[in-house]
Amino acid sequence: MSVVLTAKGLSKRFGGLAAVDDVSFEVEQGEIFAIIGPNGAGKTTTLNLVSGLLVPTAGSVTLHGRDLTTLTAAERCHAGLGRAFQVVQPFPEMTVRENVLVGAMFGTPGISRADAERRADHALEVTGTTNLAERDAEELTLMEEKRLEIARALATAPTVLLLDEVMAGLRPAEARDAVRLVRSVRDEGVTVVFIEHVMPVVRDLADRVLVMDYGKVLTEGRYADVTKDQRVIEAYLGRDDDAPPTDVAAAAAPAGASGDAAEDEA
Amino acid sequence: MSAPAAASRAEARRGPFPWDLLGVVVLAIIAAFTPDLLRFVFDRASVSYLSIASNALSLAILALSWDMLARTGNLSLAHAAFYGAGAYTTALLVKHADVPLWLGIPLGGVVAVAFALLLGSFTLRLRGIYFAIATLAFAEVLKSVVHHAPTDFAGGNAGMNVPALFRPVFIAGEMERWEVAYMRNEAYFYVYAGLLVATVLASILLQRSRLRHAMTAMRTNEEVAGVMGVRATRVKLLAFTLSSAFVGMLGAVEAHRVGSVLPEQSFSVATTVLALVTPIFGGLYTTLGPIVGAFGLSSVQELLRRTFADGYLIGYGVVLVLTILFMPRGVVGTLGTFFRRRRKGAQR
Amino acid sequence: MDLNLLAQALVSGILAAGLYALVSVGLALAIGVIGIVNFAHGEFFMIGAFLAYQLFVSFGIDPVWSLLLVAPALGLIGALIYTSTIRFVLKAPELNQMLLTFGIGIILTNMALLIWGGDPRTIAGIAYRSIGYQVGGVSIGLVPLASFVISFTLVLGLYWMLARTPIGRAMRAVAQNRTGAALVGLEVNRVYLVAFALSAALAGIGGVMIAVIQSPTPGVGLAFTLKAFAIVVVAGLGNIRGVLFASLFVAISESLVATLVPNGDTLRNAVFFAIIFAVLVWRSRRVA
Repeated sequence: MSVVLTAKGLSKRFGGLAAVDDVSFEVEQGEIFAIIGPNGAGKTTTLNLVSGLLVPTAGSVTLHGRDLTTLTAAERCHAGLGRAFQVVQPFPEMTVRENVLVGAMFGTPGISRADAERRADHALEVTGTTNLAERDAEELTLMEEKRLEIARALATAPTVLLLDEVMAGLRPAEARDAVRLVRSVRDEGVTVVFIEHVMPVVRDLADRVLVMDYGKVLTEGRYADVTKDQRVIEAYLGRDDDAPPTDVAAAAAPAGASGDAAEDEA
Repeated sequence: MSAPAAASRAEARRGPFPWDLLGVVVLAIIAAFTPDLLRFVFDRASVSYLSIASNALSLAILALSWDMLARTGNLSLAHAAFYGAGAYTTALLVKHADVPLWLGIPLGGVVAVAFALLLGSFTLRLRGIYFAIATLAFAEVLKSVVHHAPTDFAGGNAGMNVPALFRPVFIAGEMERWEVAYMRNEAYFYVYAGLLVATVLASILLQRSRLRHAMTAMRTNEEVAGVMGVRATRVKLLAFTLSSAFVGMLGAVEAHRVGSVLPEQSFSVATTVLALVTPIFGGLYTTLGPIVGAFGLSSVQELLRRTFADGYLIGYGVVLVLTILFMPRGVVGTLGTFFRRRRKGAQR
Repeated sequence: MDLNLLAQALVSGILAAGLYALVSVGLALAIGVIGIVNFAHGEFFMIGAFLAYQLFVSFGIDPVWSLLLVAPALGLIGALIYTSTIRFVLKAPELNQMLLTFGIGIILTNMALLIWGGDPRTIAGIAYRSIGYQVGGVSIGLVPLASFVISFTLVLGLYWMLARTPIGRAMRAVAQNRTGAALVGLEVNRVYLVAFALSAALAGIGGVMIAVIQSPTPGVGLAFTLKAFAIVVVAGLGNIRGVLFASLFVAISESLVATLVPNGDTLRNAVFFAIIFAVLVWRSRRVA
């Protein structure tokens, strides 16, 4: 396995506050990599630093050995970084297909119109949104919006796709669909980095997990290992006021024991 | 797949029927015959009607050029600056250089673009209200600079005279007095019509290219557009360039028609107001909207001016307020939604 | 450099800052509490000025007494405008709000032009206008001094109100969290109405003072909208407390340029716009 994405010593300060402090990780080709942690741990900020929406105070981001740190978000997209947002924001004046077409047309500089259309149609197919293609993007349900969000990002032809809490707000049945969706994205050969709150989803999806707290990396490893880590349990339990109770339960309980409940959940 | 979807897919492959380009041809043909038609119907009164028609065309250019920048999500309050830059460029050329009068028009566009790129590169990261205030401030600083430039260079407070582009000669016995004015107004009318056709073509090309999608994406959310690969900086500067080029040339032409440039008049906030009220009234982010808005508002303004000599700008304020309150998508947007709903109803 | 001149410029700047703070704090209130970027704010100021002028011309009422009449009148006008228009765009996109108030501004300016014309209007023959004091080579006019004291007192009064009174606390609560404030039972709409009326009244009081200090035209409205924006932008949009310092900064800069730069008096406006532009651009670069 080879490393595709490297974050080294990423830090971001807002005024005096360190939102992200010396975060490093490596993601390998074809894996699904989760970033978890309590609210305010700096997960989304980390993703913003990787995708170029924020300029880091220190640190670097490398994709396929190419240093992206000084590139804009658009240039990182062209280099192969896809990004889906937590709060889905489809372009409301367009149909679903046109939305996806934006990603296809601009994700690869110099792509021909015909190729862009093919790529958009493929992204619609992978995400199961072909039947929505001609609908107005304003008329979608939440789950449909999430599919669109992933389809758009996929259409930019990423080698690494960054997903920010795609499960947020979904019902259990929908979340199961979403898990399948992320797997099918990986089966397309795309490496996935995702932020997630719903622990059973993390357990089902993630090959490896990075745990953050207070802007720092707490630990990193396989799901079963990190959830047994005393520091991780404390991070969740110690501040139960800002984490949803299900997360606390899932994080605190040994991975195997929560099996049935988790099935309902995910 | 449903039948209409399949049809629209097939249409996409062939390319839809170019209604927009047909519209330009029709517009050009109408414009070509308008002076003669007015003369036929109104006889000597056609002189003032031609002038009103030119004002409407001028407003359409102003509004459509403003809209091209607005499509990126940046509602600029600096349009008067580009207009004034064009006007002063041609005035300065006439005063200080011995060049053909016509040269001032393209150069007016070029200078306006230079200022627009300067402003654009400073304000790349400003959004919404911050962008609006910064552009307004820029326009006012430019006005002050022109105002306080050495008087023998730019005329200071008193401005400069600008010679007319057209001076038809009165030939006694062969024509009537008013025909001189008619010929002059007719010539200006054709210049405005030509400039409007150029502006409309630019707008249509934008709308037909993939840049339309880039601009819509940026308008919705520049961050999202960015991670989807839209190079926002480039698109924005391109929009600044197109937008200012046409209004710069318009400013230059108008300087010749009016016969003078003055800081307060050439850089008037009223120009900016008209530039934004018109597309908002007609319908933002389209080619048709600003044009519909310009012809609609010009008619309203003429009516108001005939009824109330002063204070017709109040009418603009009222139109702006009522549009925001009751028709936030403008005439074209509101009608578009109406017809789309009806079509959907019919399908069901 | 002439030290006296410098001192004079500083004192003039400080005295002008009071009035600027009074007008700007109203704008900051509208932005901070209601979230409305009010491009018509300076027009309240302009109306205040012309009401004072009209009261003087028609009824011979001294501007000092006009203060007491104009403030409630402008509060009423503000409340009317809020109820008839602003109320409906509270949830609309920011730019729609801006354009709406821009439209209201155009209506008010042009109505004033229709009524009073475009020429400067002077409240003639008030004895106290010519009174001045000499303090160590610096001359201080009674009127600018009084306007400074009144403005300063009112601004501090507003700060006190925001900090101590129930309605002030309600305003701060609404400013911080709209839905939260609604949940705890505050009538958000009523708080907005009071804030907007108050904002207009403060501007109106400022207008009465400018009618005595200068000879205003209806164009003074837009000019002061922009001055207020400069100050509010320097303070940070919606930051009510920062307004006092921002006013000092902006007014002193203006006064220094007007005094020290040759021919600088006519450059006053350019100073404001240059400050607005520079601050906005600089902040936008620093954030990302």
